[in-house]
Amino acid sequence: MEKFSVRDIPRRKFLEMSAKGGLIMAATPAIMSQLVSCGTGVAPGLDLDRETLSRVIAKALEKGGDYADVYIEGRNSRQIVMQESRFRSGLYGVSQGAGVRVIAGNQTGYAYTDEVTTENLMRAAEVASYVATNGISAGAVALETPDRDTFVTVQRPLEEIADSKRIEVIERANQAALDYDDRIRMAMIDYYDQVRSRVIATSEGVYLRDELPLLFFIVQAMGQEGGARHMARQRISQHSGFEIFDTTPPEEVARKAAREAIDMLKAEDAPAGIMDVVMENGWGGVLVHEAVGHPLEADNIAKGIGAFTGKVGEKVASDVFTMVDDGTIPNYRGTINWDDEGVQARKNVLIDKGVLKGYMTDVLSAKQLDMDRTGNGRRESFRNIPIPRMTNTYIDKGESKPEDILSSTRSGLYVQSLSGGSVNSVTGVFNFTCREAYLIENGRKTVPVRGATLIGSCLEVISNVDAVGDDLDFGPGVCGKGGQSAEVTVGQPTVRIRGINVGGSRG
Amino acid sequence: MNYKRLSETLVTRCQRFGADAAEVYIQTGRTLSIRILNSEIDTIQESSSSGVGFRVIVDGKLGFSHSNDFNRRSLDETIKRAIAFAKLTTPEEHNVLPSDPGITEVEGLYDPEITEVPMERRIEMAKELEAIALRHPRVSMSSGAGFGEGEGEIFIANSHGISKSFKRSSCSLSVSVVSEKGQQRNTGGESCSRRFFADLLPVDEIAATASRRAYELIDPVMVRTQRASVIFDPRVASSLLGGVIRALNGQTVLQGASFLGDSMGEKFASANLTIHDDGTVAKGLSSRPFDGEGFPTGRNTLVENGVVKSFIYNSSAAKRAGTESTGNASRGGFTSLPGIGTHNVWVEPGSYSRNEIIAATERGLLLTGATGQGIDTVSGNYSAGASGFWIENGNIVHPVMGLTIAGSADAILNGIDMMGNDIDMNRSFAAPTFRVAELQIGGS
Repeated sequence: MEKFSVRDIPRRKFLEMSAKGGLIMAATPAIMSQLVSCGTGVAPGLDLDRETLSRVIAKALEKGGDYADVYIEGRNSRQIVMQESRFRSGLYGVSQGAGVRVIAGNQTGYAYTDEVTTENLMRAAEVASYVATNGISAGAVALETPDRDTFVTVQRPLEEIADSKRIEVIERANQAALDYDDRIRMAMIDYYDQVRSRVIATSEGVYLRDELPLLFFIVQAMGQEGGARHMARQRISQHSGFEIFDTTPPEEVARKAAREAIDMLKAEDAPAGIMDVVMENGWGGVLVHEAVGHPLEADNIAKGIGAFTGKVGEKVASDVFTMVDDGTIPNYRGTINWDDEGVQARKNVLIDKGVLKGYMTDVLSAKQLDMDRTGNGRRESFRNIPIPRMTNTYIDKGESKPEDILSSTRSGLYVQSLSGGSVNSVTGVFNFTCREAYLIENGRKTVPVRGATLIGSCLEVISNVDAVGDDLDFGPGVCGKGGQSAEVTVGQPTVRIRGINVGGSRG
Repeated sequence: MNYKRLSETLVTRCQRFGADAAEVYIQTGRTLSIRILNSEIDTIQESSSSGVGFRVIVDGKLGFSHSNDFNRRSLDETIKRAIAFAKLTTPEEHNVLPSDPGITEVEGLYDPEITEVPMERRIEMAKELEAIALRHPRVSMSSGAGFGEGEGEIFIANSHGISKSFKRSSCSLSVSVVSEKGQQRNTGGESCSRRFFADLLPVDEIAATASRRAYELIDPVMVRTQRASVIFDPRVASSLLGGVIRALNGQTVLQGASFLGDSMGEKFASANLTIHDDGTVAKGLSSRPFDGEGFPTGRNTLVENGVVKSFIYNSSAAKRAGTESTGNASRGGFTSLPGIGTHNVWVEPGSYSRNEIIAATERGLLLTGATGQGIDTVSGNYSAGASGFWIENGNIVHPVMGLTIAGSADAILNGIDMMGNDIDMNRSFAAPTFRVAELQIGGS
C-alpha cells in the first residue's frame, strides 16, 4: 500500500487533489503551500536557548527510550501566479512550529505544536514519550554545535529582492512563451520562493541551526491547433537566491516549454506493448528515482519487506549502471547541508557498476540495520517525522555517445520528457507517464506520440539498461512519500532500457 | 479561543487595513495516527494545530496570505502582507466573494464519540486487524496496519456578512500485507474510512480483503497485445472517470484547457453514464454544509445519459462564466486560495450484477488495479498500467499483471456498454462495476 511518487503537477492542483481525498487530516497542509519568502522576521521559537531544549529532550526520555530530538522550524513563503497573461494571485505565508520525537527500540512517538513555547514543547515531549516504557531515564545532555560543511551559497538573497523583480521575470517568461508561436494559446507561470529556518537538537548533544532558501519557477504553455492540444511544462529550481535567473533567464525556461507544446501538436497515437525505450538525459532520471531510489530507502528494508532487502553486495543491475544519491551538489534543489536529524549530507554511491552498495538511511533505520547514517532523514515540515528520503539522485554518466545510443536502436520509443510516476516499493512495480515522446524507426527519432504510460518492475529495469550516455543532466522535482513531500533533483545521461511495456492506444 | 468571533473581527481588520472585500478562513484540527508493525507500535503521532488564511480584494485585485501564528501583531502583519501582495495582481471583475447566507443541513459530519475511544482500544484494533490479515496461509508478511482519526472545525467569515462554521470528524483503519511465492511478491491492502467510529467495518472484513488482494494476483500470466473488453472494478473507476471530473472544472474550461470545454449539452459518452456530485450525503466523507468559501453545497448532476449537464464552479469562475456558483469551491486547507473540486461523486448504477458483466464478456480484462495519471484533461488521452484477471468465454481464467490499457476519452467513454448495480456509497468516489466494450491492451 505504500506508494511513492514524483509528479510535476502544479502546486494548486496538488492541493486540490489532496483536499479531494476527503479525509479530515486537515491539520496537515501540504508543504507545497508553505510557499515562500522572508522579511517579517524569524519565528520566535527558533531562538529558544540550548538549556531549554536540553530540558525538553530530558523530559522526552524521562520514561526511557533510546533517542529523542527537537525540531523547530520557521518558513516564510511567497507565490505569484500568472495565467492567461493576468496576475491571478499573490500568496504570502508564514508558518512556524516544533516537534518532539522519541525513539524506543523500533517504536517512534511524535507530537508537535504550532506555538513554540517551553510549556508546549514540554507537553509534546510527554506525548511523544508514550512509546518509551523501559523506565531507564537518560540524563540531560549538553548541546554543542558540531563542525559541518554547508553546500548552499546565496548571492542575491530573496529577502532583498523587490516584488517588482519577481513580477518582471514572470512577465518576461509569459511574453517569451506567447511570442514563440501563434499556436501558443496560453501560458501559466508559477513563481515560488521560500526561506526555511531550522533548529535541530538531539539527545546525542547535537545542536544545529541554518536557513535554506528555495526558489521554484514553473512555466506551462498550452499549444492548440484544430482539435489538438498539448500542455507543456518546464521548471527550474535551486536552493539559492535570485541569481538562478542570471544563469537561466526566464525566457529560456518559457521557450523550452513552448517548443514542447508546439512540437507535440503533431502527436499521433503511441504504440502498445513491450519495446525498447531510449530516455533523454535530465528529468528522465525520475524513472530510476522511482523504480530504484525509493526501494533503496532503508525504512522498508529495515522492516524486511523492501524489494532490495538482503541484496547488498549482490549484482542487481547491468555493468553499465551506477547510481548515486548526493545531498552535497552545490545549491541543487535536493541539496541539504545536513538532513532534518542533523546528519551531515554526503555523496552515497548506491549501486556501483551493477553491484548494490547500500541503502539510504535515517537515524532509526540505520540503527535497526546497524548501518551508517547517510544523511537522508528528511521531513516535510515540523508536522511530520523524518523518514529516509532521496536528495539529488542520478544515474552516473557512462561512455556511450547519446547519438550512438539512438542510432543503434532499430525501433522503439524515444522519451524526451516524463510527467512523473510512482512505485510500489515492496513489489518494485512502477509506472510513468510520458509527456514528450517520439517513435524510433531505424535508429532515428520520427513522429511524436501522445502521452503513454510506461510500466515495469525495478529489478528488471536496471538489469535491462544496456547503454548509458556521457551526457549527465538534471531536473528538479517534487517527491511524495507517506503523505510528505520533499524537494528533490533527479538526473541521468541518455540511457537505453530494453523491454518496457508501453501503454499506447495503437496495437 | 472563540474562533467564530475572531474570524469576524479579522474581517473588520482587513477592511481597516485597506481591503474592499475580505474573507477570513480559520481551520483548527487534531489528528492521531497509530501505525502497527508485527504487533508492535511502529509510530504514534498526535497533533493539534490551527491556522488562518486571508483573501483580500483591493481595487479588484486579489491577494492572499496565511499564518499559523495567532499572535495579534503577527495576524495584523499577515493581513498587511495580503493587501500589499494584492497590489501586484491584475484587477478582475470576477474577483468576488459569495454572499449567500444559506447553510445546507447535512447529517452526521461529527462524531463526538471518537475522542472518547480509549487509546488502548485503538491500538488493539489495529493490532487485531494486522493479526487477522496475517493469519491467512498465503500471506507471509505485514507491511503495517494503522488507525487514524481526526477532528476539526472550519470557520469562514467575509465582508458580505457571511459567518459560518462546521465541525467534522473522521477515523480510519488500514492494513497492508505481502504474499510471496518463489521470487514473486505482491502487496494487498485495504482501508476503511468513516465519519463515525461505530460505522467502521469489522476488522475481519477489512483484513480478509487485504489478504485476498495480496495473494490473488500471484502466478500471473502475460497476454499478448490486443484489443479486448475491459471491466472496471469500482476501486479503479476513478482512474478513468476522475479525468471526466477534472475536465468539467469550470476554471479549466474557461482557460480552454479541457477536452470537454465545448461539450456543454452535448453527448460525449455512452448513454449508460450518469454522474452526480453531492455535498449533502449524510455521513458522507466529502460532505459539508458549505463549500471552501462558504457557499451552500447541494446536489448536482454533472453528466446525464452521456450528456454534459453542468460544469463545476466556485464564485470567481462562475462570475467569469456568467453563471452561478455550483458550491464547488475546494480548499487545500488554510494555506491556499479556493480552487474548484467535487464533493461526493457517484455514478448512477445500472441493472447488471458484476457476475452478469463478467459472464457476458467473451474475452477481456477485469481491471482491479490501475496506475498512472488517468485521462489527460487537456488532450483527453488515457493510458494506464493495468492488473487484474483475464476473462475467456465469460469466465475468469488467470490473474494478469504488467499490462497497459489506453485510448482516447472519446472512444473509451462512448464504449461503456454495461453498467453494474454494485455501488458502495461509502466511498467519496462511488461507482459500480462497468464495462468498456473494447480498449487497446498492451502486453507481450
